Amino acid sequence: MDLSTSMSVAASGMRTQSERMKIIAENIANANSTSPATGGDPYRRKIATVKSEFDHELNATVVQSGKPVDDTSPFRMQYDPGNPAADAKGYVKLPNVNSLVEIMDMREAQRSYEADLTVMDATKSMLARTVDLLKK
Amino acid sequence: MNLPEIPLLSMLKERMGWLNQRQNVLSQNVANVDTPGYTARDLKPVDFERALRNATSSNNFSNSLMITNPRHITLARDTGSFDAQNTPDIESNPSGNSVSLEQEMIKVSDTQVQFQAATNLYAKAIGMMKTAIGR
Repeated sequence: MDLSTSMSVAASGMRTQSERMKIIAENIANANSTSPATGGDPYRRKIATVKSEFDHELNATVVQSGKPVDDTSPFRMQYDPGNPAADAKGYVKLPNVNSLVEIMDMREAQRSYEADLTVMDATKSMLARTVDLLKK
Repeated sequence: MNLPEIPLLSMLKERMGWLNQRQNVLSQNVANVDTPGYTARDLKPVDFERALRNATSSNNFSNSLMITNPRHITLARDTGSFDAQNTPDIESNPSGNSVSLEQEMIKVSDTQVQFQAATNLYAKAIGMMKTAIGR
């Protein structure tokens, strides 16, 4: 058990946050993706999941990104009869993505990533101090 | 008496080991800041009196059996590992995660400063020894 374990754990956190960021980016990018078929379902928002796991090699609890789950909330409906994706009544289903929620999630992932980075920085400086003892 | 047995240096070594492991536990907390149901952990503080007694008594007569052969098994725990306990931070969010990022950041920087202090003291002690031998 040494300082490099702390670095690995912080790195696992950073990896998870970047995976989460990827899913948020998918949601934001697909905020207006409608179905090509008439009356079909558009893009469904995905929710990133995180889970902690005990790593026997590191002897520490690392974090991992889980399988993303679908958001089951209803789609937004918009009256647009001219749209090829519109149903018989003229309504188009739009993705259940709320940009505000996505931005909030993005900020959260960003903060968590920064926290991991700070830990890594602190650990690195501790490691450097130890190595510096050799110079004395 | 060889170098690591000098009380000051052995205490600093123990201190650095403790800080090292604390940093490890804190990094686990920070990494799991978004994991539902995760409880923050921290190391138990070191009992200064006991640490001092361990460091100043030669061969730890006070609280363990004497070791006269390398194959003897010590009763004292290995100094390389300290106990971690669940210490939930003041707030916990609806998903059951009790890691407060601010609290953890304070602990991380505190550990960093303490570690710097320990390494500085170690370097100072070595410097004093060099002075004593006239180098």
